[in-house]
Amino acid sequence: MGLSTLRNVRYAGMSSCVPKRILHNIDDAPPKIRSERERLVRNIGIHQRRICAEWQTFSDLAFDATGQLLDALQWQREDIDALIVVTQSPDYLIPATAIILQDRLRLTNTTIAFDINLGCSGYPFGLHVLGSMIASGAVKKGLVLVGDRCATLNDPLFSDAGTVTALEFDPNAPDMYFDLNSDGSGHKAIMLPVGGHREPFGPQHVVPTRDEDGLLHWPGDLILDGPAVLSFSTQQVPPSVRRVMEYAGVATHDIDYFIFHQANRMINETIRKKLGLPSEKVPSTLSDFGNTSGASLPVTMTARIHEQLSQRGHKLCLGGFGIGLSWGTCILDIENAVLPPLLVS
Amino acid sequence: MPATTTLDQFIENFLTAVDFQNPVEVTADTELRSLPEWDSLAALGVIVMFDVEYGKTIVGNDLKAAVTVGDLYKLLD
Repeated sequence: MGLSTLRNVRYAGMSSCVPKRILHNIDDAPPKIRSERERLVRNIGIHQRRICAEWQTFSDLAFDATGQLLDALQWQREDIDALIVVTQSPDYLIPATAIILQDRLRLTNTTIAFDINLGCSGYPFGLHVLGSMIASGAVKKGLVLVGDRCATLNDPLFSDAGTVTALEFDPNAPDMYFDLNSDGSGHKAIMLPVGGHREPFGPQHVVPTRDEDGLLHWPGDLILDGPAVLSFSTQQVPPSVRRVMEYAGVATHDIDYFIFHQANRMINETIRKKLGLPSEKVPSTLSDFGNTSGASLPVTMTARIHEQLSQRGHKLCLGGFGIGLSWGTCILDIENAVLPPLLVS
Repeated sequence: MPATTTLDQFIENFLTAVDFQNPVEVTADTELRSLPEWDSLAALGVIVMFDVEYGKTIVGNDLKAAVTVGDLYKLLD
């Protein structure tokens, strides 16, 4: 599909929620690896992360964010025609988390609800899928809930968050422009290798190995090929941004903010430098919130510029990229939208 | 290879990219595996250095095939 335009879709509001519990990447690291961890933090730019309580799931965060946003928007629950969840940490393998949330949120039985399995790239894709249903005229008001529970104690990158974005049909809404892409040849770069039908979970997966630093690793742990992900991100994202800007007929100076998936400082700074963007136009939440997977675009908008975005019209360029591999960019205008402050739950 | 890039400049950029915790002496003959910080983070730093400083795309396999710092320098050819 690549490039496309959505018409008659208004970005009505957005809310983000993170868990209370804060992990410090240096202070909470085992003393044995602290010196190495300091070097790592210097390069990835992530000082602290948020991690769910034992009982808490991504959907609990998204549920709280949705309650906050619906109250702020003063939308009636019976008016919501679609609820789409973009996550890779569902409540259960089946059924879809979106359908469970339809009931928890007391939405009507005529609400379309389903999940999309995307991670770090997910926000532009989620906007496009819901936006397309709205542009068709079938859905008048809809919600897209994006995020993951992906933080662990040992891993220094990932952080938990849940978000909700409200879109509605509006014949006067400015056009939204998208560039959405997939490359499944890179599917092994980021993967959970165990637990699906290719490699069902079995007794051979329960025995961990201990590395030279004393940390345990299980056969089913997340695989993350850092060099492959870095090469992919820094090679694919800048051309996609240029492509969607040319398609939308806008230049860098027309765009108020460029919001990118918060991967790590090395990747994000390389993308920013290759596009020649000033850092004040590229807000970052890496230091405080780490890599919140698909939630990182809305979390960054909420935590850094929600007041500005609530005041007057702004033109944004959004870029998500990661697992799949997949990457998507979009250009949209946010005017008179409702963006409450960051919710902590 | 950019005409202005000398081996000395390359090594200086390399030292910055790897982010050594303690000062090390590096020449073209230095074996990468002998360096205490030659790890996955260093690999990311070197890939970024090639991209941003030299406009050259290298991948993880290029790094795996390189034995010495001089081998990395030759990737600029």
